[in-house]
Amino acid sequence: MRPQSVGWLFLAPTLLILAVFGVLPFIYVLVVSFFDWNSFAADPTMRFSGVQNYRDLVFDTGFLMSLWNTLKFGVFAVASEIVLGYFLAQLFMRNFPLKGFFRTIHTLPLMIAPVAVGATWRLMTVPGLGPIPYYLDRWFGYDYLISRYAGQAFLTTVVMDVWHWTPLVTLTLLAALSSMPKEPFEQAQIDGANKLQTFWYVTLPLLKPAILSAVFIRLMDAMRTVDEVWMLTGGGPAAATRYVGLYIWRVVFPKTDYGYGSAMSLITLYLTIVLCWLLYAGLVARRDLRKPE
Amino acid sequence: MKRDRKGLSLTFWLFSSLITLFPIYWMFCVSAKSRVELFGAPTFLIRSFFSENYWATLTNTSFQGYMFNSIVIATSNALLVTTLSLFATYALSRYKLSGKENIFFWTITNRMAPPAAFLLPLFLLYTQVFVVGDWKMFDTRIGLILLYCVFNLPFAIWTMRGVVDAIPQELDEAAFVDGASTWQVILHVILPLARPGLAVTAILTWVFAWNEYLFAATLTSVHARTITTGLAEFVTVTGTNWGQMAATAMLTLIPAIIFLSLVQKHIVAGLTFGAVKG
Amino acid sequence: MSDDVPLRRAAPHGFLPIHTNAFDRVFISVVCFVAIHLFWMRFLEQDISLYVATVLSVIVGAIIIARG
Repeated sequence: MRPQSVGWLFLAPTLLILAVFGVLPFIYVLVVSFFDWNSFAADPTMRFSGVQNYRDLVFDTGFLMSLWNTLKFGVFAVASEIVLGYFLAQLFMRNFPLKGFFRTIHTLPLMIAPVAVGATWRLMTVPGLGPIPYYLDRWFGYDYLISRYAGQAFLTTVVMDVWHWTPLVTLTLLAALSSMPKEPFEQAQIDGANKLQTFWYVTLPLLKPAILSAVFIRLMDAMRTVDEVWMLTGGGPAAATRYVGLYIWRVVFPKTDYGYGSAMSLITLYLTIVLCWLLYAGLVARRDLRKPE
Repeated sequence: MKRDRKGLSLTFWLFSSLITLFPIYWMFCVSAKSRVELFGAPTFLIRSFFSENYWATLTNTSFQGYMFNSIVIATSNALLVTTLSLFATYALSRYKLSGKENIFFWTITNRMAPPAAFLLPLFLLYTQVFVVGDWKMFDTRIGLILLYCVFNLPFAIWTMRGVVDAIPQELDEAAFVDGASTWQVILHVILPLARPGLAVTAILTWVFAWNEYLFAATLTSVHARTITTGLAEFVTVTGTNWGQMAATAMLTLIPAIIFLSLVQKHIVAGLTFGAVKG
Repeated sequence: MSDDVPLRRAAPHGFLPIHTNAFDRVFISVVCFVAIHLFWMRFLEQDISLYVATVLSVIVGAIIIARG
């Protein structure tokens, strides 16, 4: 009665778009990465150069530094978000007046465009205008200038990311906490476990899948952060906050060195996939992504 | 004792909300002040609303263009994505297609790709390959609309799969027995029942497209620039007109704030790929 | 982390710490192939030709696909 061909017909536009804008670029970049191609060079044609682009890449300290910084940024930001998010989620489990209202407020940062988040934080940190440098100097005599001090710039990007994305972790863990069974906790109470023991032996194992998926999603996002950091620090001072996305976009792109840029894009993609897969393999309790409930 | 704790928790939440809201409030303060008022000690009260910043943005013709582009791109993308995802999930849910679970899985992995890795190939494709005569896909609205499908379609298919699967198959069987065509079944049986899910999908898709910056900045130059690229120009091009930058940022926030109230409950499921139900 | 991957109990499998199907093993081989080449270029290519890396990674890949 219902031939398969009709089903394929319904699926066709989706697959076509994903193939043209998702798969085709991948194949294209794979091919270009083995060529020497720079449209502003003396010889603007494509010349096959084997793995030369990759050879240059593994010795490119700027790129390796940006990878390292990205990883550091991801780890710091995600770790803080998980801890903070857990405490907020635990507190949201209690009853208190105006709960829905506070929840909405705590969801707000999620909807804001990353560029606007960057703009907001820039306004907070610009010397002579923002309240952060002003009060740090006035109350603590602390010299805060993210356009000069690399450590401060790095920490500010982490704080910004925490501000922007902790709500996601909070709501994720909140959902997991509210659907947890009651019995193990009652049992733990009967057995006379103290709070710390209950947390360690009951809550944490039950919460593990939710924590792992929050880490997974947040780490992937943090690794590809571009817009917010670009608006806040512009990748500076020097290259302290020039994370890998920014590096491709602001350093490699304008040089029109397409072959080299392609190799770098591919390696970035490769590292993302490997990281993704490692996390996924650790996370797979066949909490199957394949089947929505 | 008990009342004490209640007071304490209320104080905590007020404080925490203050921290969450403060950056946004500060931006609003900056947007409502003239250049002279801005410097010196920060003040958090707005004595008189300086609307000049907003007017400067709203009456600037290039900004009107950006705003118009953003609205057109986000709306068309949302409509296209919801329509396609409805068809796709209908096919995945009701037909026996070989390897459909693998197709579904492959579809949603598209979302995980880091955009920066795709900038260069897409730029090259848009300027050198997707060219018909004088027309290039570079700097066109349709280029961005189609591209945003790559990260919005996976999300939409994910959400819609659950929605369409939940519609009992007996309903369409009954309609088929009454002699309805497949098209009529989708239009008169599936669509009305899937409407709430479609609305949430459309809204979140709209917001994702409205918020996108990296591709909009790279794949457009003049005609198809969006509001987010306009906002970023304040930092890179015009330098330090902070008041107007804040006003523009506030304007980009408005739709997000409006939609927040509508889809609050679904945001988490949307952003975590349904790994967790919000 | 690997001791609590619950897939351990599922079916007999090779030396890899998780249960894998054919696709997973091909994927892991490709990942290893690329990684070996990159590290080789960084640290060993001055002394030993890159083709050695290719041969080596093909062998590693074959072992993973056959026995993983």
